[in-house]
Amino acid sequence: MSGAYAGDRTTGFASPASDSTEGPIDLSEALDLHRPNRYPVRVVGDALAARGILHGDILIVDTAARPQSGCVVVARWQDQTIVCEITRQRGAWWLRSGKGQDAQMHPLDPAHDSEVWAVVAALVRMKI
Amino acid sequence: MPIYGLIDANSFYCSCQRVFEARIRTAPVVVLSNNDGCAIARTKEAKQLGIKMGDAWHLIRQRPDLKGVQWYSSNYPLYADMSRRMYQVLESRVPRVEPYSIDEMFLDLSGLPYDLPAFCRELRDEVRAVAKIPTCIGWGPTKTIAKLANGIAKDRPELDGVCDLSREADRQAYFRELSIGEVWGIGRRTAEKLQRAGIQTIADFVAMDSRAARSMLTVVGARVQAELRGQSCLPLSEVAAPRQGLACTRTFGRLVDNWTDLREAVSHYATTAAEKLRAEGMTASFMTVFIQTNPHQKDTSWYANQQSCGIEPTSDTLVLITEALRLLRRIWKPGYRYFKAGVMLDGLCPAGMQTGLFQTRDPVKSSRLMDALDAVNGRYGRGTVRPLSNGLDRTWRARQAMLSPAYTTRLQDIMEVKAW
Repeated sequence: MSGAYAGDRTTGFASPASDSTEGPIDLSEALDLHRPNRYPVRVVGDALAARGILHGDILIVDTAARPQSGCVVVARWQDQTIVCEITRQRGAWWLRSGKGQDAQMHPLDPAHDSEVWAVVAALVRMKI
Repeated sequence: MPIYGLIDANSFYCSCQRVFEARIRTAPVVVLSNNDGCAIARTKEAKQLGIKMGDAWHLIRQRPDLKGVQWYSSNYPLYADMSRRMYQVLESRVPRVEPYSIDEMFLDLSGLPYDLPAFCRELRDEVRAVAKIPTCIGWGPTKTIAKLANGIAKDRPELDGVCDLSREADRQAYFRELSIGEVWGIGRRTAEKLQRAGIQTIADFVAMDSRAARSMLTVVGARVQAELRGQSCLPLSEVAAPRQGLACTRTFGRLVDNWTDLREAVSHYATTAAEKLRAEGMTASFMTVFIQTNPHQKDTSWYANQQSCGIEPTSDTLVLITEALRLLRRIWKPGYRYFKAGVMLDGLCPAGMQTGLFQTRDPVKSSRLMDALDAVNGRYGRGTVRPLSNGLDRTWRARQAMLSPAYTTRLQDIMEVKAW
């Protein structure tokens, strides 16, 4: 914003920091939100609480990243868009629900309506 | 030899809607024009149901065979952002990209050390994976040929979304088959004129004597012919030409018959026009305001009028509103039901270039106020802070009954994903 004081233009003593202002931290820069492959999404439900992902959290997901076994992904599964774990077992990729011990598995198969949409890259929680 | 490519999104607006809604991935989807007027984008499933471009929604919405169609109001903030993503993906792989329209981009593929068919397939896959938009790519020695190749890639599923017209022999085969009306830059009138002269196919037109082509179709037609012959006449332009003028005009959501609503609407358009001006760092020195009743409604009396005036160069919302309302007052006539209004600005100049000799306003104060206004609206969404003259209820606003969230540009609208 023009005209705002940023520690530089003082009226009395010249600010020794006048050439050194850097402005506030830009989180959209830190989270790479300007790149075409980054999308923010909002989590509904607490099924991934064990992974530290709670209801209402904002996830920054990356559509260019390659998924690896054990990472959290946003996936298309029939008519739904879900967030869950992905795992490689017995030579195939599976979507795995986050519900611990008796976790359900679903085979990943783009031909049969289940595919990875993006890989979860970062988490933003606006209120603790 | 230069090589131009054209990449074009398939049913772009519909594809944008599909990115964020899994349940419509195979459903027929139609996006409607401003004010939910008529169909402006259709998926292939919607085309198969016989929905035509420009079909009026109020006439086809009740058709029983269209029950399964997913209708959407146009969501331009979303489409602009998805277009931006598509452009950025291309720009990271291709030396020069021209954003020709919101859903098609010219590519400079000259001298790339790759196998072009493989490269273009990868490019298409990457746009699909990152921006989630399906596309087709065509390429050849000129923009006109690239555009034609793109159309062929789109029309023939067996080509798998890519069409290479860089070789003369391949072009000849298509040219003999395709009608002259398929060519970019040949309108319906021109095509009819050519057909009357016995020119049916593109091959016929390419073979036509170039002096005859010029005398029949002027220099514009001669250029199309040269481009089809493989001589590039239209260079790539990476940036849009600076604006000559700028307009904000809308059809109302319902007919407006009173001064208060009309004043609010025109004030709102002046506000939007001023925002556009400032976003481009320009000022305007000439303004036109117009109003009109519906020309298609034969049973009521028709009225249309406009007024223009020169103004002190400015991009200040409040000044532009004052001027716009002054002009509106002169053309407003009670007793009519207005259908459309608009504010147009001309004489655009970069801000700060013109400093009038006798300024009547304080430019520093004005720019600080506008900066603050833009900062608040940039952060909390368009129209968060707006002049009271824009109205509160704003019942005249365009209908957007089936508007989807602005999934990528407003935090409160982002896509929800169910934790599993």
